Amino acid sequence: MNEKINLDLVSLKLIFNRNKSYIYSVIIILVSIILFFQFVIPQFNALLKAQEEAKELSLRLEVLKGNLNVLTNIDEEVLNSRLKTLTLALPVNKDVVGILNSLYSVAQKTGVSFGDFSFTVGDISKSENDDNLPSIKISVLINADVKAVNSFVEIMSKTVPLSEIKSIKVEEVSSTVVLSFYYKPLGAANYRQDVQISPLSQRGLTLINELSEFETSSSLLQLQATPTATSSGQK
Amino acid sequence: MNTDINLLSHTDEETLRKNKSTKIFNLIAAVFLIGVCLISVSIFIMISTVNAESKSIRKEQADVLKKMSKFQDRQVKLFILSNRVENIDKLLQTRRDFPKISNGLLVKVPSDLSLSSFEINDSSVIISGESKSLLTISEFIGNLTDMARRKEIIKSLTLNSLVLDDSDNTYVIIVSSQL
Repeated sequence: MNEKINLDLVSLKLIFNRNKSYIYSVIIILVSIILFFQFVIPQFNALLKAQEEAKELSLRLEVLKGNLNVLTNIDEEVLNSRLKTLTLALPVNKDVVGILNSLYSVAQKTGVSFGDFSFTVGDISKSENDDNLPSIKISVLINADVKAVNSFVEIMSKTVPLSEIKSIKVEEVSSTVVLSFYYKPLGAANYRQDVQISPLSQRGLTLINELSEFETSSSLLQLQATPTATSSGQK
Repeated sequence: MNTDINLLSHTDEETLRKNKSTKIFNLIAAVFLIGVCLISVSIFIMISTVNAESKSIRKEQADVLKKMSKFQDRQVKLFILSNRVENIDKLLQTRRDFPKISNGLLVKVPSDLSLSSFEINDSSVIISGESKSLLTISEFIGNLTDMARRKEIIKSLTLNSLVLDDSDNTYVIIVSSQL
């Protein structure tokens, strides 16, 4: 009988028998360590996440409560009046009628008459959602001297809708003024209900007051009823 | 003869030591297991508490949102208002004040110099005029030079041309400046 003896197995058995009493403890310790890494740490992370979420929810709730308070106490008439002033100054779309009215009203005020004028509006229904302010460029030929043109430009800069003079070219017979009328479409993506509503800043209030004077001086409403300025053409 | 030799005593000590270390191992194992269980249960309780808190906040939030929905009109108006203010402010701050520029320059034109053309754009201004007197031309150039030196409205001054028109004996001047 020449049976092969596996010495490794024998020695393992020997070690096992000698340390049999520790085996269960070691297994429990190992299992505990595995449980710690597999369950406790992820659970702890979940706790941190839940706490973070609760904190965010709590902050959001505070913002919403603040917003509700502002909205409840706001004077709707004042709000409407301010909104009207601001949207007249910077329309949300291509306000061609408003632009023509303001040009005519200023022409009437300064006593200048228009020659040809041209502007490119593009698709009136289409609104750009750019960060910059989109504008409509208008080139106006004015039959007037330098003083009248200057006066036209001066009043134009204090008229709504807001415009910017791009260039002035005064010549002996006629002058050309290039203006850009601005508008700004509303980005619906920017609107969020949980964004804190802050009261209007002092600068904002001053701006609205200034713009209210613009509106009064240009007397747009009157002129809308009786457009009298002369214009010889539109390209 | 030595009668103190006790071979069994050695075995007992070893057994005792082994039992002691086994107890220590068992204790450590128990501490590990109980510790892990306790931590796990504590975290579970904490998560449940936080979740319950979140749930009540969500409920309160829903109530506030419901109340706010009555004022949605006002909220949208306020959003538009602040959006307009921001953009108008930006526009007014960057807008070049052309009336001020042209008024500032026209004031410096002597009364007996007649302007034949006056052109301003974003970056430059070109003025051309004519006069029968060279002194008037000189006064005009002097005024503009002072302005350019003081960096008042214009930054530079270039005399593009100065021509004497023999037919009606007038001087024609063209100057340009950077704004």
